[in-house]
Amino acid sequence: MSILPEELRYLESHEWVSVSNETPGIATVGISAFAVAELTDLVFMALPKVGQSVSSGHEFGEVESVKAVSPMYSPVSGTVVEIHSELVNNLESLSVDPYDGGWIMKVQMSDPSELARLLDWTAYKHQCDNA
Amino acid sequence: MSLPSVPETKFSVLREGIPREGVVQIDPPLCGETNMAIDEALIRDATPESPVVLRVYRWEQPTLSLGYFQSWDDCRAVPGLSDLPWVRRKTGGGAIVHDQEITYSILIPETRNKTSKGHSGLLYRAIHGSAVENLQRLGWDAKLSETCTCSTAINQKEEPFLCFSRRSPVDLIIGSDKIMGSAQRRTSAGLLQHGSLLIRHSPTTPELVGLSELTTQLPSKLQEGFRADSFSNYNKDIWEKGLHDAFVDRACEKVIAKAPVDQTAWVNFLILVLKKGLSQIVNCRWQERNLDEHSVFTGRR
Repeated sequence: MSILPEELRYLESHEWVSVSNETPGIATVGISAFAVAELTDLVFMALPKVGQSVSSGHEFGEVESVKAVSPMYSPVSGTVVEIHSELVNNLESLSVDPYDGGWIMKVQMSDPSELARLLDWTAYKHQCDNA
Repeated sequence: MSLPSVPETKFSVLREGIPREGVVQIDPPLCGETNMAIDEALIRDATPESPVVLRVYRWEQPTLSLGYFQSWDDCRAVPGLSDLPWVRRKTGGGAIVHDQEITYSILIPETRNKTSKGHSGLLYRAIHGSAVENLQRLGWDAKLSETCTCSTAINQKEEPFLCFSRRSPVDLIIGSDKIMGSAQRRTSAGLLQHGSLLIRHSPTTPELVGLSELTTQLPSKLQEGFRADSFSNYNKDIWEKGLHDAFVDRACEKVIAKAPVDQTAWVNFLILVLKKGLSQIVNCRWQERNLDEHSVFTGRR
């Protein structure tokens, strides 16, 4: 699977979501290259647990960089079915691959219609360009 | 040397073109749980209409605060720390022994821009730059570290456990000793910054020194003042007398007139530092790229 940023949907708070044709009910979630660049040196990440419920726009995890702890927000609602546990020991990889190899969690969506309310690439890029 | 203005309990901050109220909150020494609960409540309850808050406080007994992601088990590697009462901060970074230091917190409520992530380099740099500038006025050769011991998660265990043994580029140092460090927490409600100014070394962390141990470069009168320093002899009356203008004025004079004989003087010195740092942020229109032209402190960008 190859994830292209132009094909993703985004929250204003810089989390991306991808849904593949093979598993249409499963959303893959991560943080954007812009967010990784803003965060700079990542040192810790707290992931959700498999089976945990997440809600669109609400916090699902936390990340620390430059002594600052920041929340990560879920773009979709549902149940966490898989987490990228290896990522927390390899956070520097996010700076080179925040999409394919940098996914954080997979969510069984309870309301796929939420995807339509997220930013597309053009809108998200506009937000970042004007930040 | 002219006296700085006396700290006020309220001040004005212009943000996004809108005058915003700022509040200075000076608390008496409290237990660790209460100190952290107050800061957590500040950011939990913040709304876009909330004032900017500058809180300065001390601790009623030596207390260890852990950075948000730190493990308490790791404090066993540092002799003497595991016997201390401890709390966990909402902010990141390394552990601090709150003993011979003054702690501050700044709350910046979120406004209409909720898209920020990560740290605010502007807030770190403006506050620490203000501290550099004002300590230089008193005679210390203070500067920003501009070096870093920060590491990635793959080797984060190699980072020193204590905040004051670490270095990040915006830490305040005198010589090779770190005197002031800060850390942040961002939520959808706003940004909380914690920081600590080391006044003198604590018996619990003898490897660390504070301003009191770094007086050799100061004029002799100020050195004498430090020898008479009663910082560790906390007097509850100081707080109960209230911070009426005349008392605050005298406290500031004690620092500025090179006779820093009590901790209240340093509390008020820190308030001045924080307010001036915030003024710099306002002057640069909350944009870090504008900080250079308005900043008078020396620090490589």
